[in-house]
Formats: sequence, C-alpha cells, structure tokens
Amino acid sequence: MNDFGERIDLESPLSGDFQAVVRLIVGGIAERVDFAFEEIDDLQLAVERLLAEAGTTGSVCLSFEVGEDRIRTRIGPLSQSKVAEALQDGDMVPGQLTLRRILETVVDSFGVDPGDGGGIVVRLEKTKGPA
Amino acid sequence: MAQRPASAERAREQDRELLQRYHNEGDTGAREQLIQRHLPLVRSLARRYAGRGEALEDIEQVGAIGLIKAIDRFELDREVSLATYATPNVVGEIKRHFRDKGWAIRVPRALQELNASMSGAIERLTGRLGRSPSIAEIAEELKTTPEEVLEAMEVGSAYSTVSLSAGPSGEDELDPLETIGGEDAGFERSEDRAALAPALERLAPREREILRMRFEEGLPQTQIAQRVGLSQMHVSRLIRKSLAVMREELLG
Repeated sequence: MNDFGERIDLESPLSGDFQAVVRLIVGGIAERVDFAFEEIDDLQLAVERLLAEAGTTGSVCLSFEVGEDRIRTRIGPLSQSKVAEALQDGDMVPGQLTLRRILETVVDSFGVDPGDGGGIVVRLEKTKGPA
Repeated sequence: MAQRPASAERAREQDRELLQRYHNEGDTGAREQLIQRHLPLVRSLARRYAGRGEALEDIEQVGAIGLIKAIDRFELDREVSLATYATPNVVGEIKRHFRDKGWAIRVPRALQELNASMSGAIERLTGRLGRSPSIAEIAEELKTTPEEVLEAMEVGSAYSTVSLSAGPSGEDELDPLETIGGEDAGFERSEDRAALAPALERLAPREREILRMRFEEGLPQTQIAQRVGLSQMHVSRLIRKSLAVMREELLG
C-alpha cells in the first residue's frame, strides 16, 4: 500500500553538533503522525545508530515520507562495507547485539537500496501502533 | 586524635579486604560490593547538588562514576580509607559534569523544568492509558505545546549526547547504580565491528540487562522501566547512552 503523502528532505552535516537537530526533526515529523512517545524514541534511536555508522565528516541525506499512520525514512549514503554487511540476512547468534538486531527491534521493517557513489541507502519503516 | 568507633573501623577493614580481592585477584564481585557499600555516600553528596536543573537520579549516576574511578584507582598502600579517598572523586565528577554540560547556563529554565516534569507525566499517562502516550497527550497533561515537549525531550537527550562524545576513555563511563542482580546478559563476542557485542563488557550489569531486555526479549521501554524501577525516560537515555558508549569502545 503506497499511502505516503508528504515528503521531507534534509541534508545534515555528520558532526555530532547536528545529531540533536536531526533527532528533533525526527521527533517533530513523528509527532505529526501522532506516534507515541516510545515509538518516536524508537525511530530516533534507529536514525541515531545509522548516523553513527555514517561517520563524523561530510554530510548525509535523510528523507522522510509521511503517511497517515507511518513514516518511511531513508538515510544515505552510508558505507557499503560497514553497514550493508551488518544488516544482511544470516543466522543470528543468540545474545549477539548487532545493528540489525537493534533495527529489528525498533522499526517495523528496514532494507538496503543502492545509493550514489557506491554507498548505500538504508530504508526504515515504522507504523503507529494501535491506540 | 579521636578514636574511631569500632563499627567504622570494621567497615574500613572490610573495604580494605574487598579492595585487595579486587586489585590483587581481579574479583569483580568485590568491586561490585564496594560500589554498593558506598552508594549511600554518593547519594548524600549528590543531594548537595540537587535543585540545579538536573534530576537527582542523574546526579547520583554521575557521582557513582566518580566512586568507581576511586575504587579502580585506589592504591592499596594508601593509609586513607576508601570513603575519604572517594569523596573528592565523587564531588569532582559531579562538578565536572555541571561545568562540562553547562546545563544551568545553556538551557532555559522553563525547558529544564518541563524536562524534569516529563518523566512523571509519562508515567501517569502510561498508567492511565495503558500504553505509551503521544506527544500531544503529554503536552496536554503538562499544559504546554507538542513543540515544547519535543524540545524538552531533546534538552535531556542533548546533554547525554554531548556526554557520550567524550568517548570511552573519557569521563562518561556508565554507572552501576542500582545494579539488578549483576548476572551477565549473555550477549556474545563478535568479530563484526558493527556488531556491538565486544563492548558490552564495558557496561555495568544493569545496562547490559536493560539492553538484553530491550533487544533480546523485545520488551518495550515501559515494561523495562517497571522491572528496573526507573522512569521510561531514564531507560531510554540509558539505552542510547549504552549503545553509543559501546560503539565508541569499538572505534577506540
């Protein structure tokens, strides 16, 4: 179902000073969809962990597609070698805390798309829970 | 020189025994006992810094970091008691925290107060609604706007983020305050740099247990908060902080 009506694009420096700004924007967008406090926190955590993988120099693009009760977030370009490997399917070792496990916990689904210049774009989807 | 009471003398001897077990034999259980024995001292010192725009619980955590450093750095040939040695460490850690974060200077008082009142509001609403409240509901409860609630959320998390950027060798080690059981969470080591497992060892038992509950059991923050007796906001901060510290550890 393609019900993403609005889209917000953002390019942010990767330096730590702007992480709080990105969090605030993620929170503001999720609030518009009436996400619960905990759901907002989950989405912010997912974005924060991916930004951490992106490094601290240069910039990263984020896009937010906003539906009636869901948000699709794209973040990239991220490093193919670091992030894609960490997210690929495979046997999960019990007790291992990986980026994939974190994302599986905090968003409904995620995937990897090719990005410009050899990097990848990570796609996150989160839907508002029942009231 | 005044005679020390026998009970104080016994406590000092027990501390020394535990310090020897920790420093000479690597007995981390002894370290944990030392931390628990001196947490009342940390709480007492932390109370002196209450009312400056930061939750007492958070000040206690920072103070606990000073206590751990004192335990880790204590030299056994010192004549001084651990409590005497730890006190300036705890106070120094708390003062440094306020100075480095500039909390009282940079953050408007209204936002500090809103941040401080949010935990209670979230707890009340979660109990009343039987689910995590929305930002609009929190705003209504606190008679403010959703935008201000979001800003207040970031006030708390922003200071945590700054704190994390100090890195693993800096001054932001996680506290073992109120550890719950102390058992290992069972996360295993991994060679994958993006897998955070190796750095789990860096965390206190409580933080490991919170991560285990969140990412292995899949419990929501509200349930974890109930289990460990902390606010949901505090659990959220600990999760973020733990993951960031672990990553810093991997990169370090």
